[in-house]
Amino acid sequence: MSQIFKQNKFVLSAFVITIVLAGMTFGNIPPAQVNLGIQTIDDTTFNFADYPSLTHEQIAIINYFNRLVTETEVNLWDGWNAERYLWTLQYVAAFVAYLFAAFSETTSGYRTAFYENFAQTLIQKMNTSVADYGNQSMEYYEWASIPGFTDYYYPNATNPDANDVYTGGFRGPANIMWTGHFALMLALYERNFNAGTVVDELSHYISDWELSVTTDRLGNSTPGGVWGAGLIPCEPYIVFPQCNSIPIYTTELYDNLYETSYMESGMWDYGLDFIEENITDDYGLYTNGYFVQRPIGGGPNAQLSPQEIPGQAVDHLVGGPSLNSYATAWAMTFLEYTIPETTIPKYPVFIDKYSREVSGDMMYILGSYNHPTTFGDIFGILGTLFTMTLANQRGDYVTRDRLLNLLRDMVNAIWSSDGRELYYDASSLDPFLSTVLSGFSVWSTLPVTVRDLADARPSEFWNYPYISAADDSNIWVYQAQWDSVKSGFILNIKVDSTAELVLSNFQGTPTAFSGGISIGNLVPETGGDYSLTLQPGNYQLIIMEGD
Amino acid sequence: MKNESTSTQIEEQRQTLGEKFRVQHWTIALITIVFGLVGAAIFTIIYAIPMPYTMVSLFKFGLSPALAIIALIGGIRGPLAGFLTGYLGVLAHDLLFFNTVVTYTLPALSYGVLGLIVGIASYDFSNGRSLGKLSILSAIGLVFTALLLVVFGLLVEQTAVLAGIGFVMLPLLTTGLPSVILLTPILARFWEFVNQTVQLPWQSLK
Repeated sequence: MSQIFKQNKFVLSAFVITIVLAGMTFGNIPPAQVNLGIQTIDDTTFNFADYPSLTHEQIAIINYFNRLVTETEVNLWDGWNAERYLWTLQYVAAFVAYLFAAFSETTSGYRTAFYENFAQTLIQKMNTSVADYGNQSMEYYEWASIPGFTDYYYPNATNPDANDVYTGGFRGPANIMWTGHFALMLALYERNFNAGTVVDELSHYISDWELSVTTDRLGNSTPGGVWGAGLIPCEPYIVFPQCNSIPIYTTELYDNLYETSYMESGMWDYGLDFIEENITDDYGLYTNGYFVQRPIGGGPNAQLSPQEIPGQAVDHLVGGPSLNSYATAWAMTFLEYTIPETTIPKYPVFIDKYSREVSGDMMYILGSYNHPTTFGDIFGILGTLFTMTLANQRGDYVTRDRLLNLLRDMVNAIWSSDGRELYYDASSLDPFLSTVLSGFSVWSTLPVTVRDLADARPSEFWNYPYISAADDSNIWVYQAQWDSVKSGFILNIKVDSTAELVLSNFQGTPTAFSGGISIGNLVPETGGDYSLTLQPGNYQLIIMEGD
Repeated sequence: MKNESTSTQIEEQRQTLGEKFRVQHWTIALITIVFGLVGAAIFTIIYAIPMPYTMVSLFKFGLSPALAIIALIGGIRGPLAGFLTGYLGVLAHDLLFFNTVVTYTLPALSYGVLGLIVGIASYDFSNGRSLGKLSILSAIGLVFTALLLVVFGLLVEQTAVLAGIGFVMLPLLTTGLPSVILLTPILARFWEFVNQTVQLPWQSLK
């Protein structure tokens, strides 16, 4: 035996070191894929692969966000590492709400208080006012803390008279970034939970925007509205395609939800034409803003001001329009529902101009193609993240995965000790990016896209059977959906410890099937509901309506 | 042991270019190419499997066994087979899993250089010193691969310096060096064991 050790001491040493090294670096392995089987019940075949599905990681990341959102006061942002980025919190709240809307649409038959509370609390966090929370409020972070913003009038910013419109209010008319995001959060909440509690507030913003883009807000109909662009500024002096893509998308969704005809009336037509004619580059790609008024004091984008106003925002370093890949990708994502014939052809051009290959399995997006040698700034990273979501919507999964590989490759996946939560730890770059990267890794990989969410659910949807209550912290719901054609409820679930699910809207006692074989009827509860108790394990169930 | 090592060196010096590349006869060349192709296939499969890693600050630590396959094939069958394993393996991986051919296949060529450099020397896999030489040449080969990848990225693809260094060179070195230094001799020793235990058809054709 000692002879063998002697003869192979180099190899054995290498082997031992390999084992030690492998043991020390054992992490970041993706969990197993979700099982998707086929079942036939009474000659009806259910293929689980035909229904949208969540992954284990996506659910774990949403659990992480759920804790961050719901377990602190609405004005506090503990755990978000956003101390240096307070002005971005409105984006954080909004984009988490959008990814969550797509997430919950994927399992549309799972609508317990656990998820609804998450969506509701996000709206509350977005809506904190100076009056209630002082300088720990969204109103302060996003608007009131920026010098001069509350003083603006249009067109005469500083010496207003009766012909000038006050545009310095946090809730509008000029702050489209906040009002747009807030209204879309409300609209998506109503779309996904049908609560009916925020419709009036949502309606107010829609009609207020209509006033801004079709009149001078002094009682006169005016093409192009107050600012003559058919668009609404987010800083009081500049309009952006990406910021206006949000209210345009919200108006589409509102029309679809409540059968109104704001879009048909041409409310945004002037603005959409204005964007194409005035806020694009030589390739037709959206650029980073158009000044409608000379800025007074300062502001986040005041330094992009052109010589002549009105005019396109300028990159003063290299000349030409100010470019920002994240803004372009964002605008293309949200405008695709309204003008697909315009935005879809832009996509390959965008990828061609902005992308850089790192290797076969990795690429990144430049912040601006006029600055090709820069990478690692916040705009390049944001551009990469927003392009992931756009690529997912365009069905370009190769590009999405290559972008995602680059970002995931530089962070650790951190699971909570109970295995219920996951986030990507980007603290070596900037701790704030941990939540940002975690969120986009979900948003860009969901089977439901931004474009899909602009359509309202059919009215009969609210009569479909669904999970109305559950031991949420014991389960992983990968698939939950009523198939109205085959009259079966698809439930793909992992149970950590014994869990009870309450299902509503069944007309008769439902029966659960696993592997095509009945495993028993659900138990009737008060109020016409039925309960299902599951022991730990993985289940692919079809729940059929009884007689 | 010293005599064995010296005889290997003398044998290396006497080899013609054709012998070094194992293409001195068409049947030998064919076997060399087959080695390269099989190596590329094995590389592609292993490279596609997600490997564990951990980030410590900006440094990625872990193992990338696929890189050791390139070095191993170079060590077994010479520079051409090693080059083909790296070059075709990366090409096949990118095409099969990402439908991409990046920067005129220059990155794939860089991986081929790893196998090429390792294959230049001759080895006796039953000898610890020779396995050590295999480790060292694998490490040198990988450093060249990393440098070439960055140079091609900067000059041809015009990537940012930060991207080239941060996303290509650093992770390749921090995961690749332990892999080729440790795994290549282990795999080579295993190969030697198989070679001695089983009579393989090409053993008579050196």
